[in-house]
Amino acid sequence: MTNQHHNSLSREEINSLFRTYKDNKEPEVKNVLVGAYMDLVHSLARRFANRGEPLDDLVQVASMGLLKAIDRFDPDRGVQFTTYAVPTIVGEIRRYFRDRSSAIRLPRGLRERSFMLNTAIQKFSQENGRTPNVSEIAAAVGISEEDVIEGLESNEATTVASLDTTTEEGDLSLLDIVGGEDQTLKMLDERLSLAGAMSTLDSREQNLLYLRFIEGLSQTEIADRLDISQMHVSRLLRRTLQSLRQNLTTSSREPYIS
Amino acid sequence: MEVVCIAVPPLEHMTRVVHLATTAVASRIGLNIDQADDINTALDELFRLSLSQKAGIGQEFCVRYDIHKDRLEVLAEKMQMSIGDVTSKVSRYKRFIIEKVSDRYEERTNPEGGFDVLLVKFLSD
Repeated sequence: MTNQHHNSLSREEINSLFRTYKDNKEPEVKNVLVGAYMDLVHSLARRFANRGEPLDDLVQVASMGLLKAIDRFDPDRGVQFTTYAVPTIVGEIRRYFRDRSSAIRLPRGLRERSFMLNTAIQKFSQENGRTPNVSEIAAAVGISEEDVIEGLESNEATTVASLDTTTEEGDLSLLDIVGGEDQTLKMLDERLSLAGAMSTLDSREQNLLYLRFIEGLSQTEIADRLDISQMHVSRLLRRTLQSLRQNLTTSSREPYIS
Repeated sequence: MEVVCIAVPPLEHMTRVVHLATTAVASRIGLNIDQADDINTALDELFRLSLSQKAGIGQEFCVRYDIHKDRLEVLAEKMQMSIGDVTSKVSRYKRFIIEKVSDRYEERTNPEGGFDVLLVKFLSD
């Protein structure tokens, strides 16, 4: 990163601004930092242009990534901000594409509604510390409860995002994060007494089951811990349970109707 | 108390209709979307248990929702396989999942055949 990218601010000045922001969280300082890195935002957004989404939208999404990176960056760790910010911004853009793509092509209106619901659920959960109900989501988004229910259900019709999907951190995949509690897998296996069927699941899928059914976290809590959306957790859990069920019915020689 | 009943053909894709009904009914008493999804998870297990046994073919899946002020009771009627069969690995698995996602559950023998499974979800404070 050269000084030109920082709108004539030197590296020392940038570092000083980050330290100030870390201590005081002053919006004015943040605005200066945002302005200093808008070239980076545009540059990364352009990488994803021509994939069916307007460049302006991608710049907005990338800007959100930049804001998150500025909030989370610790200047005392000796890492350059761009090293930290690029994966975060790219992750945000990828997440945007992930949330908008599916194997079952939903009508554009329904896709946009699903995206809005996702955003509203996350925002509500963060602000209120609990999961919203349908009427609260409807009020937040400004649509009817029926439309919310339809949107939530359409979420299940879309392809489950891969566990390899990158998270908001950009360079981490769900596999990296969910797979962090291997010591608990045996416990889950023992609890369920499902040795054969469980062994056919990916260890990360087993851990997802652990978080939900042994540790007792709600979908929203899991979403918060893994930094993904509640709707994404819902899809992953449903797919994992379906895999487990199929493995069980197969191993029990019980016919399964798909 | 309000009561809603729904009957769908025992087909996999029809479970989506039940999901829609469940989410709609759950929202009526203010259950959040996690709680609504919990009920759908439990119903999925019950339905697919019957689907896997083929015994449900030709019969409808009937679900009754009793809407109370403080809770939602969901009755899945005439399920073809008991979740209380301790010798069955599938049954144990499904009971485990249902136990985890319900605030309370119980299974009763239906006089006309099969098993009724009651799932209860309480409204949080």
